[in-house]
Amino acid sequence: MAAPLELSCWGGGWGLPSVHSESLVVMAYAKFSGAPLKVNVIDNTWRGSRGDVPILTTEDNIVSQPAKILNFLRKQKYNADYELSAKQGADTLAYIALLEEKLLPAVLHTFWVESDNYFTVTKPWFASQIPFPLSLILPGRMSRGALNRILLTRGQPPLYHLREVEAQIYRDAKECLNLLSNRLGTSQFFFGNTPSTLDAYVFGFLAPLYKVRFPKIQLQEHLKQLSNLCRFCDDILSSYFRISLGDG
Amino acid sequence: KKLTAEYFVLLLFSAEPWPENATLYQQLKGEQILLSDNAASLAVQAFLQMCNLPIKVVCRANAEYMSPSGKVPFIHVGNQVVSELGPIVQFVKAKGHSLSDGLDEVQKAEMKAYMELVNNMLLTAELYLQWCDEATVGEITHARYGSPYPWPLNHILAYQKQWEVKRKMKAIGWGKKTLDQVLEDVDQCCQALSQRLGTQPYFFNKQPTELDALVFGHLYTILTTQLTNDELSEKVKNYSNLLAFCRRIEQHYFEDRGKGRLS
Repeated sequence: MAAPLELSCWGGGWGLPSVHSESLVVMAYAKFSGAPLKVNVIDNTWRGSRGDVPILTTEDNIVSQPAKILNFLRKQKYNADYELSAKQGADTLAYIALLEEKLLPAVLHTFWVESDNYFTVTKPWFASQIPFPLSLILPGRMSRGALNRILLTRGQPPLYHLREVEAQIYRDAKECLNLLSNRLGTSQFFFGNTPSTLDAYVFGFLAPLYKVRFPKIQLQEHLKQLSNLCRFCDDILSSYFRISLGDG
Repeated sequence: KKLTAEYFVLLLFSAEPWPENATLYQQLKGEQILLSDNAASLAVQAFLQMCNLPIKVVCRANAEYMSPSGKVPFIHVGNQVVSELGPIVQFVKAKGHSLSDGLDEVQKAEMKAYMELVNNMLLTAELYLQWCDEATVGEITHARYGSPYPWPLNHILAYQKQWEVKRKMKAIGWGKKTLDQVLEDVDQCCQALSQRLGTQPYFFNKQPTELDALVFGHLYTILTTQLTNDELSEKVKNYSNLLAFCRRIEQHYFEDRGKGRLS
């Protein structure tokens, strides 16, 4: 496709091209499918950045949300899944649902709700990426959005008690990590020797959890015990992101 | 397996065998129950039938409020009350009945993943249709949800519930979706289920598991519930192996057991 593809997303740190899961999913997929993306890291008051990032812009389209962006790239013939069988394609959808339901709440909690982590790491980092006075507002808004999402999807009515929900979401996340580790086994990627959409999603969700240095690290500790998942992240980083690490 | 407090409690109570008078509670079938709750209730009923555990279905207008988690259905077994399919599967397992013991670790992971797919896409689509599509809300949901209550309580409760569901939709990124996009998601989900099922009788070949119960609950309900139009059920009807799957379960686990046709 002649039209240039531009992706605006959050920037990198701790050896990652981006510390934001959704941005990372899109970046990884683009690398896997060979889509030529021009990455614009957020460094000013981006209009749609109220939780809308990552955003893909072409000459006549603006696409947001990872699932839609990946769909768009596939329609442009950048397809990382063409070697997958129908069943593998179905499995991809199912595992992505598993990630979103079981792992995402705990990842959101680790980054945005756990106070030690949020105030010492997440908030300063995100605030440093955007100009004053948005830096005073946006991280708080993202944090509230994360808490909201966790409580609305996992909290039990009529009282939404975070304490009870916390234990459950971490348990679910650890189980999800174990399931992923079992499924990956000793393979290089989830479906054979070439990476696909599922690999992009798993990488996007796991890599920030793996690499960002947090004070409160219970989920990180659990992940580090699953050596094949860590190896999976490191392999992708060194094979697909080595060149841009210098700019990241 | 980690021995949490809940597991201990389950262990203590699991010594009792499954009683004859086990009961399942849901809302009133004819006038009140909504698509998503009906699907959930049918999934649990199918699961228990597959485990060969007898259950009596009781309809109560305030079932939602009787439930410990606010969600239906819930079962009353002995002196224990458990709600929702997930916890019910765990509870039944503690009593020594399981449909998924024969699966290996990778298959169990797949089963869990596909159950999440159904919850993530099908259930959310049902909730969207019920509470966020103005036509359906106006013609069906509002009236059904408030039917057991006098004015103005019927309106207040219905609006409150609608507000809650819309909040959740917004939080998970479905707030801006159009009905067409939601129907496309349903199609994608059905396609995945159809591809995974293939020509097998059940998702893990010869024996049904909780995944089959869950899929049956949702698909059967979608196929047999009268909505403002047929768009939702048409999406399922595109996949003939899914239709055969529903028919198979209805026949084996409901008709043949003398429970009669379901709706």
